Amino acid sequence: MERRDFLQLLGIFSGAAILPGCGDKRSAGKLVSYLVPPDEGVLPGEALYLPSTCGECPAGCGLTVRVREGRAVKLEGRPGHPINDGGLCMRGQAALWRLYHPKRLQRPMLRDAEGQYQPISWDEALSLVVEGLRQARQQGRANLLLSGRTTGTLAELQRRFCRQLEVEQLPQFEIFSHAALRRAYGTLFGQAELPHYRIDRADLLLSLGADLFETFVSPVDYARQFSRAIKQDDFQWIHVEPHYSLTGANASERLVLSPGSEAALLSFLLRWNDSKGRLPTQLMAAVPAASATETARITGLPQERLEQLAEQLRLAERPLLIVGGIATAQAQGLQVALLAGLLQQQLGMVGELVDFARAEGYGSVGSLHDLERLAERLEQDRVGVLISDAAPLAQAPGTLELKRKIKRAGLRVGLCELFDDAAQQFDLLLPISHPIESWGDAAPRRGLLSLLKPAIAPLYDSRSAGEVLLGIMHRSGKEEPGQTYQEYLFNAWHRRFDQQQLRQFSEQGFLTLPVAAVPLRLKAEPAARQLAVEEVAEVVSAAAPHLILTPSIRSFDGRSSDLPLLSELPDPLSSVSYGRWLSIAPATAQQLQLQDRDLLRVSVGNWSAELPVRLQPGLAASVLMVQGDLLSEAPLPIDSRSGELIRRLDGVRLEKLGDAAELPILSGSSSQQGRGLIPDPVHTEEPSPDETRFYRAHPHKDYRWAMAINLELCIGCGACAAACYAENNVPVVGRQDHLQGREMSWLRIEPFYDDAGRASFIPMLCQHCHNAPCEPVCPVYAAYHNAEGLNVQVYQRCVGTRYCSNNCPYKVRRFNWWQHRWQAPLEQMHNPDLSLRDRGIMEKCTFCVQRIRQARDRAQDEQRPIEDGEVLTACGQSCPTGAIVFGNLLDESSTVYRLAHSKRAYRVFADLGTEPSIYYLRKG
Amino acid sequence: MYRLLLNLGIVGYFGLFLLVTGGLAAYWAIYQQTAEQPIAFPHRVHAGQLQLPCNFCHRYVEQARQAGIPSLSRCMDCHRSIATERSEIKKLTRYFEAGQPVYWERLHQLPDFIYFSHKRHIKGEIPCAACHGEVTRMEVVRRVRSLEMGWCLACHRERGAATDCTTCHK
Repeated sequence: MERRDFLQLLGIFSGAAILPGCGDKRSAGKLVSYLVPPDEGVLPGEALYLPSTCGECPAGCGLTVRVREGRAVKLEGRPGHPINDGGLCMRGQAALWRLYHPKRLQRPMLRDAEGQYQPISWDEALSLVVEGLRQARQQGRANLLLSGRTTGTLAELQRRFCRQLEVEQLPQFEIFSHAALRRAYGTLFGQAELPHYRIDRADLLLSLGADLFETFVSPVDYARQFSRAIKQDDFQWIHVEPHYSLTGANASERLVLSPGSEAALLSFLLRWNDSKGRLPTQLMAAVPAASATETARITGLPQERLEQLAEQLRLAERPLLIVGGIATAQAQGLQVALLAGLLQQQLGMVGELVDFARAEGYGSVGSLHDLERLAERLEQDRVGVLISDAAPLAQAPGTLELKRKIKRAGLRVGLCELFDDAAQQFDLLLPISHPIESWGDAAPRRGLLSLLKPAIAPLYDSRSAGEVLLGIMHRSGKEEPGQTYQEYLFNAWHRRFDQQQLRQFSEQGFLTLPVAAVPLRLKAEPAARQLAVEEVAEVVSAAAPHLILTPSIRSFDGRSSDLPLLSELPDPLSSVSYGRWLSIAPATAQQLQLQDRDLLRVSVGNWSAELPVRLQPGLAASVLMVQGDLLSEAPLPIDSRSGELIRRLDGVRLEKLGDAAELPILSGSSSQQGRGLIPDPVHTEEPSPDETRFYRAHPHKDYRWAMAINLELCIGCGACAAACYAENNVPVVGRQDHLQGREMSWLRIEPFYDDAGRASFIPMLCQHCHNAPCEPVCPVYAAYHNAEGLNVQVYQRCVGTRYCSNNCPYKVRRFNWWQHRWQAPLEQMHNPDLSLRDRGIMEKCTFCVQRIRQARDRAQDEQRPIEDGEVLTACGQSCPTGAIVFGNLLDESSTVYRLAHSKRAYRVFADLGTEPSIYYLRKG
Repeated sequence: MYRLLLNLGIVGYFGLFLLVTGGLAAYWAIYQQTAEQPIAFPHRVHAGQLQLPCNFCHRYVEQARQAGIPSLSRCMDCHRSIATERSEIKKLTRYFEAGQPVYWERLHQLPDFIYFSHKRHIKGEIPCAACHGEVTRMEVVRRVRSLEMGWCLACHRERGAATDCTTCHK
């Protein structure tokens, strides 16, 4: 690349680049001058919004990073991004906790003879790797590169690195590899990929096991598509699963089938719809026979419902079937995936709603078989240098004994972000920069390139993975296009795109590219052969109870479990925050005379674990449920055909221990106790206006801020609560305070179950009541009502009597029992637009008053009123489904006015006459 | 007895007077805070004699919450050629050439929990001197206003500006 081109690209991409980091200790009480003024558009004390891409899971959501004085203070979903369009899940919100994690690896480290890590320089570290690679080549041992799912230019660089340095690249490691699905699609259509499912175009969605809202491929995208689909009147969603997931809780109907009977159900549906004649007879012949009665017996579903389901599928105009998650993580997983592919083909989904042209780019991901082979090679001393990230060591099933076997590699080089247990399995630790400190790109889906651009200068002496690989190549004397990874990237982009595209890429943070159509032809013969090999196991004979290890919305596959915010946020279904627990059906609990927190020993073979129980309404009696990352030592086998982890243990033994454990359960009750918070069926009406009023009326002149929360769209994912923590400097208080009921969340999601075990979620936050019970009881006027309808808490007035909290019917006020401290450097993510609360102060949701202030400032500059939609609260911004709307109730053209006056609008505890400013929209 | 009481009374009276005067003097020193700066920058010369507008150096005052202190390159724009022989300018040049920022002592500091926007006040046509005093006549800048809530509110009330708590308390 020409120097001129490079400078030009630099110009395009580095407008408003990093501010010099100010704010060291010397600057307290000082004014520090700039040496040279920052770029145009950068104002001291004003936030800067820069594009990036989330790296917390493989979905690759677009980010907007809010930067204040060189510090990243908040992450938000990037509006318009093809994956998440503004929404961001709780893990994405928590990614800042990884950036400022106290355990961040700060410099390259080498383990010395005593097993202690000693810091070394990057020069030394890279030389060691080069030397190690050379030695291994001489000894005839293989050098290996193992990474998680990698896309875009970095994937290309990895291939180049491996080619040039004779390093073998292992298939990429993801524990959620979706290997069975990919293998099935490869057999059926020659596309060993994960398709992009178009939920928003379907009129009937049948999902089988796939945890669409938790971890399945691209959860924020699915939630967003769901929110679009549900706005169509005829959208129906049936979710079938053996356990209980957040996804199931949100479906129009959740059907519970016996664990392992998915294949039988799919066979039945295939046979029922055979009349459509889309499948060759030789293939149909290979599909296991399944009569309605037989299927009903195996699956445990009523026969009428089964037939009805098959009919619904047959009659639907645009049906969509999504299978995955637990359904394919079992011994029959590959068969389930094959049958699902066939059903998708039979009902005409493939190509349209099951879109392979925009496949999710999992082609280079391997399966646990690859890890098995690696373990074998390690055992045989055939591995020289192993360059890997920490994920395989943290997540590989214990049966592989990877932690023991990896010691036999010549040199173990870890590319790590955190200095945790998994990282300490390596000899040489190379600190990897956080995505928002790095240059890069990601192609999370075919036809999409998402930008990573450093929003802040690296906090430590870390480098991006690309820089490390390039550094090793340079040191080995390989000529590479680009001295730095940034230059390498610019080169790659320069080759692919023209000026206009580059400008767009830089400004919007992503580029959509045309995709070529993918030829899809059903390969009947290999498919039939493959199906015939798969025996229809009589699964129901497997002994109950079954222990199902579910994916976790909070930690994905365990990779995010180290982030403090995600332990503080409760699990959406059980509302347990810290610790691990076993979900059991109320029927099982009754039988064993157990209640919440009682200890139960579960054992299979030689393995056993003691877990406190948590009652999960709606869970099948034969099923126990635990989040997989919390029980990583469970002896889960690897499916020999698909190479996926089998996430179910059959015939577990249960033993009541008689003790109870301390388990923080944040919700007070799993039932609404007839109080009609979510008015189905109970709802108490508002009192008639002629009743005596104790409260003065509040006049509102220009604005009356109000919020509408559409419960039909609320999926209970907790993204709003996470966003609230991040925006408002809400302290993470830890397990002990949770046990004492002293959590600080300003916004919580309450799961409520009805008698049939159906869940509804309601986000609960300060209702900003018009007649607020908290206000008159405050002896120092710290709680008062302002002219714009906000219920304000003045921290400097508050003396901590807690009368307000006692008088609040919604339990949304939080008291600071401590002077909460953020462990350094976590305090760097503090939002400076908001003060930190001291000990002894009451705090609560402010309706993001700092954002209102910011919007007002902008509006005043332009001498206009604040427009509708201009103030986005942090919770509303983050919501993947757009369930939370904020605005001015006095403006009759505003969205919030329209929603507040909808027939579905109601207010919680309206009968108390508090007149909340939050309007909920009931379902249906 | 009577004389003793009288003497005590006189001593007490004058003692109290001295105490009050001393207290006031001490308070005044804190109130009209000043500090020795790393570079003795005379506002009197720049803003007074040369009549440079405030935003010539505090360039963000109309655009942002913080007025901003001039970057060293801004200082050097002029002082590359002006008054280069003076000791304070040499000090400035040394800072600039070493690439070190100057850590100025801060006189006007609001608590962390206060939202204050220079831009809003400038757009409301409040003269800089209303809060910062006549810096054009100050050799060394000192604080002339208390910057306390009561003082802020007095002006807000007088001018009919917002007095809601959330206007300033964040």
